[in-house]
Amino acid sequence: MNPTEPRSGPGALSEQRGFVSTQPATVSNSSQERQQALLQVDHLESGYDETRVLWDVSLEVRRGELVALIGANGAGKSTLLATLSGLLPAWTGYIRFAGHDITHRRAEEIVRLGLSHVPQGRRLFSALTVEENLLLGAYTRRAGSQQAIKQELEEVYALLPKLRERRRQLAGSLSGGEQQMCAIGRGLMSHPELLLIDELSLGLAPQVVDDLLNALDVIHREKGLSLLLVEQDVQIALERADRAYVLENGHIVLEGTGHELLQNERVRTAYLGA
Amino acid sequence: MLVLAVRSLPVRRLPFHREVSAMLIAQVIVNWLLLGSLYAAVALGFSLVWGIMNIVNLAHGAFILVGAYTAYWAFTQLHIDPFLGLPLTMLLLFCLGWVVQYVAINRVIRAPFLVTFLLTFGLDLLIADVVQLLFTSDRRSINTAYSGFGLTLGTLHIPFDRLLAALIAVLLTAALSLFLQRTRTGNAILATGMDRDAARLMGIRIDRIYALTFGLGAALAGAAGAMLVELYPFDPSQGGVFTLRAFVIVVLGGLGTPWGALAGGLVFGLAETVVPLLPGIGPGYDDAIAFALMVLVLIFRPRGILGKAFYA
Ligand SMILES: Nc1ncnc2c1ncn2[C@@H]1O[C@H](COP(=O)(O)OP(=O)(O)O)[C@@H](O)[C@H]1O
Ligand SMILES: [Mg+2]
Repeated sequence: MNPTEPRSGPGALSEQRGFVSTQPATVSNSSQERQQALLQVDHLESGYDETRVLWDVSLEVRRGELVALIGANGAGKSTLLATLSGLLPAWTGYIRFAGHDITHRRAEEIVRLGLSHVPQGRRLFSALTVEENLLLGAYTRRAGSQQAIKQELEEVYALLPKLRERRRQLAGSLSGGEQQMCAIGRGLMSHPELLLIDELSLGLAPQVVDDLLNALDVIHREKGLSLLLVEQDVQIALERADRAYVLENGHIVLEGTGHELLQNERVRTAYLGA
Repeated sequence: MLVLAVRSLPVRRLPFHREVSAMLIAQVIVNWLLLGSLYAAVALGFSLVWGIMNIVNLAHGAFILVGAYTAYWAFTQLHIDPFLGLPLTMLLLFCLGWVVQYVAINRVIRAPFLVTFLLTFGLDLLIADVVQLLFTSDRRSINTAYSGFGLTLGTLHIPFDRLLAALIAVLLTAALSLFLQRTRTGNAILATGMDRDAARLMGIRIDRIYALTFGLGAALAGAAGAMLVELYPFDPSQGGVFTLRAFVIVVLGGLGTPWGALAGGLVFGLAETVVPLLPGIGPGYDDAIAFALMVLVLIFRPRGILGKAFYA
């Protein structure tokens, strides 16, 4: 993950993301790494000032996985993501990402290691243009990597063509769906290995959600980007996820593959209204 | 009510005539533009720090003071012209602001408004005392070779030093605006001002951005001070006056953009140049007029003339 290293093509791209490519050299490397989780969270506790929100949370995301995190409003999903990305300090426990202990690292450092967080509510820089927002997503790239940044920008525009149309528009003037696209595009501009997305579909029309999910599918499958997705539409989330966790009152109460949880009685009654 | 305490700069007053000649009108407008632009320089750094960091920097006037005395010292000891020495004065003030922010204010940036208020107030007292200790409380002024010279068109007179100061003020406004809008670091400053946590998620080291912003604010204050000392006699008690003026100007012009400082400066300048000449008003009411203008602006445009929700 040397950010200044110019990328030469899809091969180099997948290698950096630890994607199982067709090149033999990376196969052995990746299969070795796949034994170990990309993100490993052990007995994590965290919260705000005096209020404890997360209790003994353990989970993992392996390379190339799409993991869903579901749970009711106020369960602590956003708090968990903010703790992972370093916006909130961890109280106790252990967070390991891509071979680094990031438990006590700051957000500014964690994004440089390849963990990118698309926060709830998008949090765009609304008085800046779409393209300025995207370029700030590549802020971690040092000067001299102009070419790589340009290429990344092209990739994001290719993935989310609406953003190219809107690139000179102020981010605050976009529709909700376009804002979410911009937020995801911005999150991708740092060239992450793992993307955390908080409430992808909240407040968006079904068609827009489909478009976004398809775009994420492309980078997930083709480029091996790992995803941790917080999603209130449990059906959508579990259908797509390799694995999923259920968070209730700051505790992980269930985990399994997406299909296992779709069949699970507790999930069906509590989250699918069945 | 604060405005009422603002003392006016010693501007040359034009007598009020019932028959105002075209030349007089032109002179008044020139005086107004020159003074208004200079006021933009006074408020520019204050506006930046307030807009981005949400800090009402009570030490702003003290930075202006340091800029003024740096220019004075460089002129009397090293014979450096205040205008030519501007980059140096600004660099010195940038370093001062950067250090102050990095060691002191970054520690309380998340603290309530009142804490930064008290901290910058303390800083203001400290700096003003040090300046007084070094330079005594005597009034100081600079007389350059070109002081008193200017362009003359008929009865219209434009002093060189005021013209230069006004041009530099507009130039600094434009440069700051371009820097914020067009550069990576400038955008990072704006982003930090809009959403601190989102900026952190981009990998922006906000403590450095704050130090940079505060340093820039101090550098701009220093530039204003260096130009002021060339135009008006200066003493160490004047810092607070300029903090207050910067505050009024920023409220008038609006917080969203550096151009707001220029707009506010021009409106503020009206109070000392144009309005006193209107029939029935006359001189002596600068502060009341400035206050009235501020109330008017706040009634009709609470964000200020050019104010935006964000600094951009
Ligand atoms: N900034 C905050 N300060 C204090 N408490 C908070 C803050 N944000 C969230 N909480 C509390 O933390 C708990 C979990 O919130 P959150 O992580 O946002 O839940 P979710 O994302 O699952 O809806 C809630 O009880 C909420 O009230
Ligand atoms: Mg949430």
